[in-house]
Amino acid sequence: MVYRLVTWTVALAAAAVTIAIARAEPSDALAGDSALALGAEVAAGLLLVATAVAARARSGFRVLLAASGIAWLIGEWNSPGAGAAFTAGLVLYAAWPALLAHAALLYGDRPLRRPAVALVAVAYADSLLVLGAGSALFLDPRPLGCFDCPANRLLVSAEPELVAELGRAGLYVAAAWSATFAALALVRLTTATPARRRVDLPVLVPAAAAVALFGARALHGGERGFLSNDPTDRALWAAQLAALALVAAGVAWERLRARRMRDQLAELVVELGRSSPTGGLRDQLARTFGDPSLEVLHARDDDDAGWVDGDGRPARLPHDVHREVTRVLAGGRELSAVVHRPGLLEDPAVAAELADAARLALEHERLGAIRRAQLESLRASRGRIVATADAERRSLERDLHDGAQQRLATLAVAIRLARRQLASEDPQLDGELAAAEQGLRDALAQLRELAHGLIPAVLAHEGLKPAVEALADRSPRLVVGDLPPERFAAAVESAAYFFVAESLRRCGDGDVAVSVRREDGRLLVRLEAAAGIAGSTIDLEDRVGAVGGTLTATAHGVRAELPCES
Amino acid sequence: MRVLIADDEALLREGLARLLEDAGFEVVGRCGDADALLRMVDARRPEVAVVDIRMPPNNTDDGLLAAQEIRRRHPRIGVLVLSHHLEAHYAMRLLEEVPERAGYLLKERVSDVAVLADALRRIGEGECVVDPTIVSRLVARKRARGPLDELTDREREVLALIAEGLSNGAIGERMYLSPKTVEAHISQIFMKLDLRPGADQHRRVLAVLAYLRAS
Repeated sequence: MVYRLVTWTVALAAAAVTIAIARAEPSDALAGDSALALGAEVAAGLLLVATAVAARARSGFRVLLAASGIAWLIGEWNSPGAGAAFTAGLVLYAAWPALLAHAALLYGDRPLRRPAVALVAVAYADSLLVLGAGSALFLDPRPLGCFDCPANRLLVSAEPELVAELGRAGLYVAAAWSATFAALALVRLTTATPARRRVDLPVLVPAAAAVALFGARALHGGERGFLSNDPTDRALWAAQLAALALVAAGVAWERLRARRMRDQLAELVVELGRSSPTGGLRDQLARTFGDPSLEVLHARDDDDAGWVDGDGRPARLPHDVHREVTRVLAGGRELSAVVHRPGLLEDPAVAAELADAARLALEHERLGAIRRAQLESLRASRGRIVATADAERRSLERDLHDGAQQRLATLAVAIRLARRQLASEDPQLDGELAAAEQGLRDALAQLRELAHGLIPAVLAHEGLKPAVEALADRSPRLVVGDLPPERFAAAVESAAYFFVAESLRRCGDGDVAVSVRREDGRLLVRLEAAAGIAGSTIDLEDRVGAVGGTLTATAHGVRAELPCES
Repeated sequence: MRVLIADDEALLREGLARLLEDAGFEVVGRCGDADALLRMVDARRPEVAVVDIRMPPNNTDDGLLAAQEIRRRHPRIGVLVLSHHLEAHYAMRLLEEVPERAGYLLKERVSDVAVLADALRRIGEGECVVDPTIVSRLVARKRARGPLDELTDREREVLALIAEGLSNGAIGERMYLSPKTVEAHISQIFMKLDLRPGADQHRRVLAVLAYLRAS
């Protein structure tokens, strides 16, 4: 606010002084006696100031652009009609090209690299010291024939020869650095990425033109040792004026473009807040920035390294020269990354909008994506836990079978052999051995049921249908309906089997009907019991949920839906 | 009668061999895995092979697979599979292709030499044998109302004996019935269940088992 107030006060004051000076001695002014030319001159300066004040760039560019607009107005002040402003005019009349070149080099948040720093240093030294202050120290205009000229308050000693020498040298140097600047600007434009060029072109081209025109004027007046207002000077000056107006227009255009993008993004944020489709942010950003290949990735939390996409699926940052990754940081931490075609976010407007407007939307989507990713990894870990438990059961079942059951059968045979050897010598002992043998046989039958209860071997060997039928052989009240004969993934088969076996155990008295149907990649397991199912079903839900299924308990039964893609 | 014993538990194998020898069988070979079993059957041509269902190399159903292979290669050689599995499914797999000269008994009967000897003799004579525990579970299975409810208790008893693989004569002996009465019961049962009474006694077993499992 203070900056604007100060800038506008200085600029309007300078404009007023310029108008007064040009009106006082129209024949000496570059604008001549044309009110239109004077109006255009003042307007060009003020336009630069106006666009500088409104620009959304770093303050360096804004201050320099505003300063060059004001310095442009001061260009008229080294005229005999300048009065008290005459001395300031002597020092500053050639300052605007240096300021404009400096501003242009900073445009688009560019850092100033070494060759540009040297160029700017030469430009300032030449404009302000050689042509400006240096000459002013030794210039006494009156002996040179300007009897109306106001007094030069900086005059140390009148040295006309030295002033002429300084003027010549200064103007040639000015011509040289102007040409260098124009060349540098052209190189920058030709080597820039398309996105960057779109931003730079409207400002760099007219700025280079304005500075080059100043260089042409300097060359024109070089032999003479000073800038004049002959017809060539006036023509070049008019062209400069037009170029400056175009610089202002270029800056304003970029400002408008940024605002349009901001509006689009604001709309996007509102829209996302309203509907929040998963992955919707990517589509919106791709459309807004005009890059269909754009991707949005999000960093997982500290304890989980890696990236996920908008749907929470694990993703990787590309290592590809044709893709560029821009990271969005908050509090020094990477939150999200936008993968896009190279150079897209060199457009400062895009980058700024992405950081400001889209940040909320990005953060919003990121939280959702992380939540989905965490849910997925939880589900996977639950699946692993159940699979491990099943594997344990299978291994226990095998151990029982290969170990205990075989051993007991062997013992029964051994007792039978002993009984045969004893023959019927001792009927009492034989009776006891026979009882022991029968006991072993009963133990074998019990062990078989125990092993089967752990996990039926038939489930792994033969599949769900024979396993459910075997369950019905053991539990006569289970009425078997349709069962699909095909095999499914082991996790799905055991989830379905244990769902049936456990539900059956909890169904009250009476018949229980079971049927399994396959439909649209899902296995629908249905149990119907007149008495319904008693007690909590939370462990059944866990069992079914571990393979991504759902469980529904009704008044007369319970139903499980399991995804099966076999 | 020449028998061959395949079981991976050496003590059990030896004990069983001695029991069978005592009961008058000639044990022509003993082995502990499926591959050795097939080689030994090829070389020694027993009348019946006694096979444990779970054997190396995979310790799953290798014995059953080997038994099926024997049936394919040597239709005249019988197999008796001993199993810890009560599931009718495994017995059906054994009987499905060629039902005669095949048997499926639960392993806990291994020391009951009378049952074992009876099963081996019946298999040797061309019959098939299904463990009575498996059959009784199948018959007891809860069903939606259907033709099985139409059978009298006597007919149900006969049905179970058919499923165990008994011949008409054996059924008559077991139930103290005349051959004519047995035949009358059987034709009643087949009519009520809408089964075709094929001439072949083994197909009859299969048809009854399939009916019991499917209904």
